[in-house]
Amino acid sequence: MSRMKYIMSGGLAFSENKDMEKLRKYSLKGWHVREFKFMGYLLEKDESKDYIYNIDYRLLEENEKEEYFNVFTTSGWFHVASEGDVHLFRAKPGTRPIYTDNDTTIEKYENSSNLLNKSSLPLILLTIVAWIGSALSTAALHTTLEVIAIVLTIIAVPAAFTLLAAYRNKWKVEGKRGLVTLTRLVPYLFILAGVIALLSIFGSNLTVKIITSALIGGVGLPLAIWLITSVYYKVKA
Amino acid sequence: MTYVMKKDGENLTKTEQLTDSMFYIMAALTEPRHGYAIMNLIEETSEGVIKIGPASMYTIIKKLLKQEWIYLYDGSDSRRKTYLLTGKGKEVLEQDLKIRNKMIDLAMKGLKESGK
Repeated sequence: MSRMKYIMSGGLAFSENKDMEKLRKYSLKGWHVREFKFMGYLLEKDESKDYIYNIDYRLLEENEKEEYFNVFTTSGWFHVASEGDVHLFRAKPGTRPIYTDNDTTIEKYENSSNLLNKSSLPLILLTIVAWIGSALSTAALHTTLEVIAIVLTIIAVPAAFTLLAAYRNKWKVEGKRGLVTLTRLVPYLFILAGVIALLSIFGSNLTVKIITSALIGGVGLPLAIWLITSVYYKVKA
Repeated sequence: MTYVMKKDGENLTKTEQLTDSMFYIMAALTEPRHGYAIMNLIEETSEGVIKIGPASMYTIIKKLLKQEWIYLYDGSDSRRKTYLLTGKGKEVLEQDLKIRNKMIDLAMKGLKESGK
């Protein structure tokens, strides 16, 4: 039997806690994280241990690393792996949490959303510009811009969702419940907008095409979202 | 008059308070100490009631440095850098302590009177 195993991540912005719970369950079965791998984690088989896991987001300068990791080690948190600004730690159950007050917890998610902001906001803006451009232009330029806009949309939608998830994490800690509920509604609004767009593109006589498109949208889009989310974490490394 | 730190080191605003964690850490930095020593001192002094997690600890140290309320006292051991309050930091801590003392007085007086 192989001593290495790969498991997928749910995307940290979307399911950080679930991921950490999952890693704990694997550790109980003797599979411990060794490193971050594309879209997930690489586990190594060893003795069964009860470890709890935690993630911190922080951009570290080379001369800050030793001190940062030492503060964790001395308080019982073993540094497992890092990828860019994402750092994974594990400890025995009962170890004090890595964040112990609300103000600094908010900053944790601020760190994560700030880093995402830098990469996804220009992309989202560019997509909007491309759509406006194609709407205002005609003939060959119109077609070219439309193709560019569609390609950009495919990349920008997951980026927007990830960013939204990062903000939701932050708002949750800040206790802004209204905003949290709002972010939950956005994907549904998005699907609704998509359906309306498809209907207007293909017209009502092409029902089959609509259903096909809906299937592509229903299966393809979430898949693309998940894939590109993971690529973001990879790129940040 | 007390101070609170706004994110990214924006200007201080009066009439707001230090967070508890910041207060504890600044109180521990009246003498040069490194991160782990600060955490230990706070835990021992509070008889285990108050614990500061490593990520909170590190975040606050970085903020206090940015505000220039503490400074790097000794960086020769890169794993255990020690920090100390600046003059400005001492002032901020003193102001915050005044308010905290007033609130403690209020609680103590109130309890005494209700015990009569």
